[in-house]
Amino acid sequence: MSESLKDKTQRREKRAAKVPSEASHGVRAKETTGRTKDSISTVSYMDELGHHDDNARMVVTMENTYQMGPYKRFPVPVVTDILKDVLTSYLQEEKYEVEWSQKMTKTICEVIRARVKDLMIPRYKIVVLVHIGQFTGQSMQISSRCLWDASNDTFASYSFKNSSLFGVATVFAVYLE
Amino acid sequence: MDDYQADDETGFVVEEVSKIIKESVEAAIGRNTYQHSRVNQWTTSIVEQCLSQLSKLGKPFKYIVTCIIMQKNGAGLQTASACFWDNSADGSCAVRWENKSMYCIVNVFGLAI
Repeated sequence: MSESLKDKTQRREKRAAKVPSEASHGVRAKETTGRTKDSISTVSYMDELGHHDDNARMVVTMENTYQMGPYKRFPVPVVTDILKDVLTSYLQEEKYEVEWSQKMTKTICEVIRARVKDLMIPRYKIVVLVHIGQFTGQSMQISSRCLWDASNDTFASYSFKNSSLFGVATVFAVYLE
Repeated sequence: MDDYQADDETGFVVEEVSKIIKESVEAAIGRNTYQHSRVNQWTTSIVEQCLSQLSKLGKPFKYIVTCIIMQKNGAGLQTASACFWDNSADGSCAVRWENKSMYCIVNVFGLAI
């Protein structure tokens, strides 16, 4: 019992010593052969370091960019202007009708998404949410909350009203890490 | 080797999310009728409850949760969404809930990190 414990600690020491250096592959492999299962895991560690494995994976993986943050941040005022422009131009003179409104929410969504995409802000995912509702004296509330990185992720929102309807458009921009 | 997990464990599972949404709406509103003064509190608690449950799933996602509560009096409301994202990893889920006096619509978007 005590012997095996000692053996283990020895092995652990050996492994710890091996980790930082990559140089002595062959020697290590020799050392580990004929040992117990515990040391074979060392071999698998070497496999990870092995170059042939990297080459096989090179085809699918991209090179690391080591980019930690966005080069270009999401321009909230510009997007708010887009929302204002789109909502005003589509809804200004309109009266609420169910079928028209069903089509219009989708159209406005697509238009806003296309216009925000045209800004060519790299590495941002975009979510566009549009609501159109009728005014009949009801009350309603829209609220949202996000679990994200507040330093890079952001949103823009604009609401438009005329005498018979209101439109609310929100764009969430989430930085792709 | 532990990095590779099944899709179910790291993916956006709509059933899971819709269950979370329904539970939090039921918990917040339950059998209440529409009261203007409490709407603020309801939406807040629904959104907060959803987010806390979603974060407990421990998946590599950023979440966007929106909640709409509207009084029922015959008024119409349409909502639509459009996204520019990674279709294979990201997902969305919308739940419409209603009782006699109000509508509640909850949208959840999950964006993979």
